[in-house]
Amino acid sequence: MAMDKLTLRAEQADDRAVLHVGGEFDLEVAGQVRAALQPLIEQANRPVAIDLRELTYIDSTGIGILISAAKALHARGIPFGVEQAPSHIRKLFDMTGITPFLIKSESAK
Amino acid sequence: MTTDREIKLTLPALPEYVDLVRLTLYGIASKLKFSFEEIEDMKVAVSEACNNAVLHAYGEAGGRLEVTFATEEDELVITVRDYGSSFTVEENKEAPVEQGKAIEDIRSGGLGLYLMQALMDRVDVVQDGGTAVTLAKKRQTTEEAV
Repeated sequence: MAMDKLTLRAEQADDRAVLHVGGEFDLEVAGQVRAALQPLIEQANRPVAIDLRELTYIDSTGIGILISAAKALHARGIPFGVEQAPSHIRKLFDMTGITPFLIKSESAK
Repeated sequence: MTTDREIKLTLPALPEYVDLVRLTLYGIASKLKFSFEEIEDMKVAVSEACNNAVLHAYGEAGGRLEVTFATEEDELVITVRDYGSSFTVEENKEAPVEQGKAIEDIRSGGLGLYLMQALMDRVDVVQDGGTAVTLAKKRQTTEEAV
């Protein structure tokens, strides 16, 4: 198959940093996503967003990495949010109770 | 006989083979006319069972994973088996993150078994010379998911 299993694209805007994660985010590629997130977390001086619009699949390893990023950025006082999650992926966030920590618009702050 | 229609996949217990289990599951479940949502649910649950075996069953030497797909009327029964050392599968049917919890108190792991139980109709774990996780889901033909 010609399609990449995982696609990662970092986008630096003036007011925020966005990491686009597409394809399948599972145990096999956990290290790659963690490595892509690391600089955003370490040098974060602006809000960080993870855009999941092109994500087709996530497992508990991927969810764990999103939670770790949310925690690390929260500890540094930097705004963080997951955006554009497809409904079948959003469902997993809702089921595990982590949606309020990942998706900001819901909590109406 | 149901056993005549059993499909078995044997593969190395390594992370890069788990997507192959998902692809196979997708093919079988589509053929059985499961809905997109039901297939997505099963993909997550079966992958979690495979992940557990990949991460915990074998040491450096590695080992094999056996995934069996069997149909019983409108139910798909998937068994993920390893022959490694048994690992603890903690019973946890509660949502891992309760409402009102502070972000500092959330754990980033341990969601696998919860997801399996939440997404499948039945989850059985048998430990006997390895671990066998059986996951079953019935096809919903008429009613919409609530």
